[in-house]
Amino acid sequence: MPLKPVEKLKDNTIPEVDFSHAREMQPYLKEPPQMYVGAPGKHGYLRLGFELDPRGKSILRDLDRRVPLIAQQELYFDEEMPEMPCLYILSSGGPNVDGDRYQQDITVKKDAIAWVSTGAATKLAEMRFNYSGMIQNIVLEEGAYLEFMPEPVIPCKHTRFICDTRLNVHPSATVFYSEIYMGGRKYYKEGELFQFDILSVCSHGERPDGEQLFREKFVIDPNVVPVRQLGVMGQYDVFANVIVMTPKEHADKIYEATDAFIDKDKKLAVGITHLPNDAGLLFKVLGMEPGPVKKIVREFCSKVRMEIKGKPVPPEFPWR
Amino acid sequence: MSTPTDSHFAAISRLLQFTDSTFPVGTFSFSNGLETAGFENMVNDAETLREFVWSQSLQAAYSDGVAALHAYRAFKEGDYDKIADADKMLLLFKMNDEARLMLKRMGKKFAELAKKLFNNPIIDRWLEEIKAEKTPGLFPIAQGIAYAAAGVSERDLFVAHQYGVVNMVLSAALRCVKVSHYDTQKILFDLSDRVEGLYDEASKMELKDMNAFFPELDILASLHEKGAMRMFMN
Repeated sequence: MPLKPVEKLKDNTIPEVDFSHAREMQPYLKEPPQMYVGAPGKHGYLRLGFELDPRGKSILRDLDRRVPLIAQQELYFDEEMPEMPCLYILSSGGPNVDGDRYQQDITVKKDAIAWVSTGAATKLAEMRFNYSGMIQNIVLEEGAYLEFMPEPVIPCKHTRFICDTRLNVHPSATVFYSEIYMGGRKYYKEGELFQFDILSVCSHGERPDGEQLFREKFVIDPNVVPVRQLGVMGQYDVFANVIVMTPKEHADKIYEATDAFIDKDKKLAVGITHLPNDAGLLFKVLGMEPGPVKKIVREFCSKVRMEIKGKPVPPEFPWR
Repeated sequence: MSTPTDSHFAAISRLLQFTDSTFPVGTFSFSNGLETAGFENMVNDAETLREFVWSQSLQAAYSDGVAALHAYRAFKEGDYDKIADADKMLLLFKMNDEARLMLKRMGKKFAELAKKLFNNPIIDRWLEEIKAEKTPGLFPIAQGIAYAAAGVSERDLFVAHQYGVVNMVLSAALRCVKVSHYDTQKILFDLSDRVEGLYDEASKMELKDMNAFFPELDILASLHEKGAMRMFMN
């Protein structure tokens, strides 16, 4: 059943974020003895609505935020696309902790454009009782364009994290949706790689009429499947997953312009393929450090932007 | 639920028939990315092949294997819509272009053969809808349907599905990795001990629970899809 499109909160209550039905989270449903699940400050909500103003400029028209999520006003700092509103999502609470819940709803209305990222890496703290869960609804109307390129996610020892992302995208719109996962705090103490309990990440794409296009789900439980096994992460420590939903004619050109390779010297591996049902492209990167992986993701975004908007992505700020 | 001992003589014979490498669904022509893994020197001996095959086995168990079990149960219930649901849901989950092509080709071939082997309206309808492009017609769904029609138990279906995945890669390995028949048979023999554990998990999963995290396999498959190496399909 298609979910309802993103709506404003009617009675000022935040939508429930509950993954207690998820099979893989069953061992992690104890109530934390510290602040309870969903307590104020542990249940973040963010609604962003981008649209064209009467002069045809893309603006952030709709904003609702609940702690610990913060979004301030949109800025126009992209030197190649100064007409594009850019927004950082921040969290006042530091890392995601045990029993945190989040929901982020982003709508880009007809013909509007937007760029959304996070101010810093998303840290997922050690958890002992419950889990941290996030729901994202990303809706793009006709002709809309969104680059969603957050900083990496860093799990700690015993992190439990589950995320469900729904991409509801008009056939004429383009969304660039990226996620980068670190194996853990690589340089903390003797190294803390792949010591989390579970990461469960599901991203699914659909059309405005509810037609389902693809569903990618990965459940990473290092205690069940050795992450270092050939075919899983192998020797690599960082993983990026990028979904590009775009019309087929664009997807075909981006696919042709993008190389898949394994660079043994730089220890980087890159792959690209077509999503089912002509939904677009799926791009994956494996590497050792976040910097080079972020660079490849950014370069790929530049190819997408060049194809759709005829402009490249500018170089990253030196402090990022 | 059926137990392994439920399968009678004809069912076991048909189980062997459907898993035979000469069963004409085209299994022989796919390497599942092994060709690229060999070329990149990631798989270059029996030990690395064993790891590669185990990853393939796990990847298939919690996606294709789950869908095959759901199709099997739906066929037993005579519920065509549930079969079509499993077929469509598995396609949503298949992220690699060549994997989709492989499973569609093999599924259609199996369905065409099953139409001739079994006189069954559900199989006939499924094949018609594959031809009309109303349903994808994926191989694990064909396996679920045909094994149910043949009276093979659910566990045996799962074993056969796993055997097919592992054997496909090992057969390709003889032609693109420096390993012997002794190596591949030993791997096949040893991995058989793990199938029960995979079934225990997969048999409890709903279609929405299907999952896979094998980015290195995904990248190898992508390299093969883009590359010039073409001894095998992916």
